[in-house]
Amino acid sequence: MDVFSNLAHGFQTALSLQNIYLCFIGCLWGTMVGVLPGIGPLAGITLLIPATFGLDATGAIIMLAGIYYGAMYGGSTTSILMNVPGESASVVTCIDGYQMTLKGRGGAALFISAWGSFVGGTLSIVGLMVLAPTLADFAMKFGPPEMFSVLLVAFVLLGSLGSGSFFRTMPMVFIGLLIGTIGMDPLTGSLRFTHNVPDLYDGIGLLPVAMGAMGVGEILIATEESLLRVIHKIKLRELLPTRDELRASWAPIFRGSGIGFIIGLLPGSAHVLSSFVSYMAEKRLAKRPEEFGSGRIEGVAGPETANNAASGSAMIPFLSLGIPTGPAPAVMMIALLIHGIAPGPLFISKHPDVFWGLIASMYIGNVMLIVLNLPLVGIFISLLRIPFRILFPVILLICLVGTYSVNSSTFELAVLLFFGILGYFIRKMKYDMAPLILAMIIGPTMELSLRQALMRSDGSFSIFWESSITMTLISVSFLLLVWNVYRGIRPTKASWEKALEESK
Amino acid sequence: MTKDRAASLLFLLTGIYGLFFSIQLPMGRWNEPGPGVFPITLSILLLVSGVSWFILGKRGAGEKSQEEKADWRDIINTLSTPLKIVGITALLILAFNRMGYIAASSLYIFVLLFWVSRYRVIVSILLGLSIGIGSWYFFEKVLAVQLPKGFLFL
Repeated sequence: MDVFSNLAHGFQTALSLQNIYLCFIGCLWGTMVGVLPGIGPLAGITLLIPATFGLDATGAIIMLAGIYYGAMYGGSTTSILMNVPGESASVVTCIDGYQMTLKGRGGAALFISAWGSFVGGTLSIVGLMVLAPTLADFAMKFGPPEMFSVLLVAFVLLGSLGSGSFFRTMPMVFIGLLIGTIGMDPLTGSLRFTHNVPDLYDGIGLLPVAMGAMGVGEILIATEESLLRVIHKIKLRELLPTRDELRASWAPIFRGSGIGFIIGLLPGSAHVLSSFVSYMAEKRLAKRPEEFGSGRIEGVAGPETANNAASGSAMIPFLSLGIPTGPAPAVMMIALLIHGIAPGPLFISKHPDVFWGLIASMYIGNVMLIVLNLPLVGIFISLLRIPFRILFPVILLICLVGTYSVNSSTFELAVLLFFGILGYFIRKMKYDMAPLILAMIIGPTMELSLRQALMRSDGSFSIFWESSITMTLISVSFLLLVWNVYRGIRPTKASWEKALEESK
Repeated sequence: MTKDRAASLLFLLTGIYGLFFSIQLPMGRWNEPGPGVFPITLSILLLVSGVSWFILGKRGAGEKSQEEKADWRDIINTLSTPLKIVGITALLILAFNRMGYIAASSLYIFVLLFWVSRYRVIVSILLGLSIGIGSWYFFEKVLAVQLPKGFLFL
């Protein structure tokens, strides 16, 4: 059993003192950013990337992954106690979670949310452990035509399932792809859009763009909002759910695990979509659906499990194919690239210690998060008492120093500020920056794959229908495109689409 | 000006910029695309998106509720804090290497806390200095990040 022997090796790596410490820091920081409105997991990950420069790649990815799934745990705390989602995947938890708090059952909601997150996260790690190596082996057969078609499907899916409509998401993808062309063309050496600026010859740095759009942009948006909230206190003995609540939670937790795992594989706002789909599924399956919205434990258990399961399965295409399907995996990819490691089909075979160390640390991290999120919930709530008026200058300074630390370049600070402003205005116009960043990261690979495929076939497009994989994927892209055009012109939207748009 | 129309202007401007500069690049042949093909295709797609959203944005303006439409006074009020932050950050970037990290960051935090967060002068100075010096210690001594030294080697 290769998987188990590899996992045992992974635990040896993950159980080193340094990696346990880094996993703890990631989970702690992730929970904190999940609790604090105004800083999402994306900003949380980008802020800590510079802190990973002195670490090895294994330690770096362990810490950053801890932030990602930790934020899913932390985001539910403010949703349940204050009716304020700590991050976007916890929006739906506000509906029944806060009602439970008003009924004096907030502690039970927190417990079930943490427990569901643990189960969902653990089951999705099992899936990640089994599927990622299999998918990577399959993807080793990919040549440029297959890679181009996979990325084409990924972009069309991103447009179909993103948090905005297809026709809102795709222009952002186009802008990201265009920004990705800045710099020296890898095949001919031509300089594109550099305007004789030497800092642009290697292209625009991914880190200042991500930190600008997600860090600075979020701060600029958050400074418009008032952050005075009522905080409900919870005592430790109130955390335990009743037997009925536990019994009612099991099925939603297991359903949420499955829903979240599958949706997490898809590009787009997977953790947000998974929580909405889970909530609607629980409502449909309930004997008394009219009670949803008044404090049903199923309305907390399912969605919170689903968003954690999605965060685990989102790592599968990212690690095994090198295709980040969401903004957080995209930023983790930036971190790995900075450490000289490229996720993709060869990642697991070339860097087994990094991959299996990460898997093992995710098991450890899930256990840490249960401990952090239940008995220590009061400490995290107290973070909300730090005035945002003091917090935001510190966050801005971290963004600036983080960017400067990569190349000691004030040009990149200017890029950071530019994309912060762009991110702010794009959010104001109700568009999403995440597709732009994703496109920037994987767009160059898509262009290169297309041109390499045509070079290989001496300019013949028949190379795209010689392979069954390529034919299938291009056909799927075409069908999705047609479906999106139909969706764009029909008068009514599906309830999950309306819910996803309203979550923004 | 609706939000969709504002977005359409962004798409149009980006598309025009992309088109103008990618036309100057080698295109190669239709079945052996050069470095200019991908950017020019994207620029055209952006122009199409921009025109579409400009038209849809105009059509949507009549249907949207009052709160979606632009009220210039509200816009200025909403933008004032982010604009202040952007302006102060731009000045920091210009002064970063000349002033050195400790001086620049302490002044940056002070101005943000005093002018944007509306704290009193003394509180802003104390917090500015603590955060500036504390962050310098954390980044340079703990994380080993090389930060600029300005006059007085600060």
